[in-house]
Amino acid sequence: MTSSNDQLNINICKKCILPETFPGISFNDQGICNHCQREEKRLEKMPEKKESYRQKLDQLIAEIRDKSPAYDVITAYSGGKDSSYTLKLLRENYDLRILAMSFDNHFVSSLSWDNIYNVTNKLDVDYINFRPPWLIMKKIFSMTAREDIFPMPTLLRASAICTACIGLVKSLVLKTALEMEIPLVAFGWSPGQAPIQSAIMKTNPSLIRQNQLALKKALALTNSRGLDRYFIPETYYTNYKDRFPYNIHPLAFFDYNEDQIVQQLNTLDWRIPTDTDTNSTNCLLNAFGNHCHLERHRFHPYVWEIANMVRQGIVDREEGIDKIYSRQDQKMVEYARKRLGL
Amino acid sequence: MSDMKKQIRSFVVENFLFGNDEGLKNDTSFLDDGIIDSTGILELVNFLEEEFSISVDDEELIPENLDSIDNVLSYLERKRA
Repeated sequence: MTSSNDQLNINICKKCILPETFPGISFNDQGICNHCQREEKRLEKMPEKKESYRQKLDQLIAEIRDKSPAYDVITAYSGGKDSSYTLKLLRENYDLRILAMSFDNHFVSSLSWDNIYNVTNKLDVDYINFRPPWLIMKKIFSMTAREDIFPMPTLLRASAICTACIGLVKSLVLKTALEMEIPLVAFGWSPGQAPIQSAIMKTNPSLIRQNQLALKKALALTNSRGLDRYFIPETYYTNYKDRFPYNIHPLAFFDYNEDQIVQQLNTLDWRIPTDTDTNSTNCLLNAFGNHCHLERHRFHPYVWEIANMVRQGIVDREEGIDKIYSRQDQKMVEYARKRLGL
Repeated sequence: MSDMKKQIRSFVVENFLFGNDEGLKNDTSFLDDGIIDSTGILELVNFLEEEFSISVDDEELIPENLDSIDNVLSYLERKRA
């Protein structure tokens, strides 16, 4: 078995940072990976594409503004850098009526709670928090730490722990949007996490139902009772069929510079937590999730995202290497392991 | 295998399976098998629109049209008929 530190001894793409252990990767004579070679042409068209998506969002917002009873948009809000910035963009650039919704997975950094409080207050945004009981989350996280309950293609982009958590977040945010007739659901995916092609998407009952079934099937393997209440009830697919919202993730097509984002967020009294790992600005479980994934798959669960951002010139290659190939903080790994009783 | 089917397969393998096509059958459900999630469907749609010069309407974004290589192929054939 390979430990996370063995990552330091593997070959990585000379252009992005994908490692030789990444499934399906190949390199040319110059040591450039097949993904960099394939993306070259797409990246040339990126500025034009971003502009067309900004126009598309303007148009969509003009159509939905003030049409729903209470809110124009619900934002999945972790208190981290990217979702805080998404909230800021939507509030300040579009002046939308926003409901921010957090999911307390019992591993949120205490500084992140301060950030949530400060940012929502400064932006004058309504806020709700959803917290499932500890025993349910403990069961889900313990199981996903030990076993991959999700199919491999999913795990190429995120750890099993993150996939379970974010699956519940997506489901609860959509459920709330349907109940409150909110026409837009916003996420703070970074430009490396989700491609621009999916940055503005009309959801529909049929697609969501199938997606929910796949998640339910996977989570059923954790033997957690009562999870149905976190999913879209069957009646909603017919009763609310005209309420299915648009999903948006604006950071895919707005300028994205980490330093500038942090500076802008500082004006809202948002501070970088010091107790999280290099790939998260809110979650104390992330380092352990990364550790488990590395042990099982020999590649970092964030490497696809960060490699995309290096390729796009958003993250400097050295910085990307630092984020992915530094040692996992053992204290943080042990903290989460101990809390989960593993 | 038809050229269209080959193109669809190759796009899915390269973009969602990162080059590894082990276990991908023509009737494998993209959503059930975690190959594509509901947002990833849009990447597929973008490819279909650019490659086959079609326009996919919002109401056509359903599993029956897009959830497997076979479904995508049938959908494309219907659209181009």
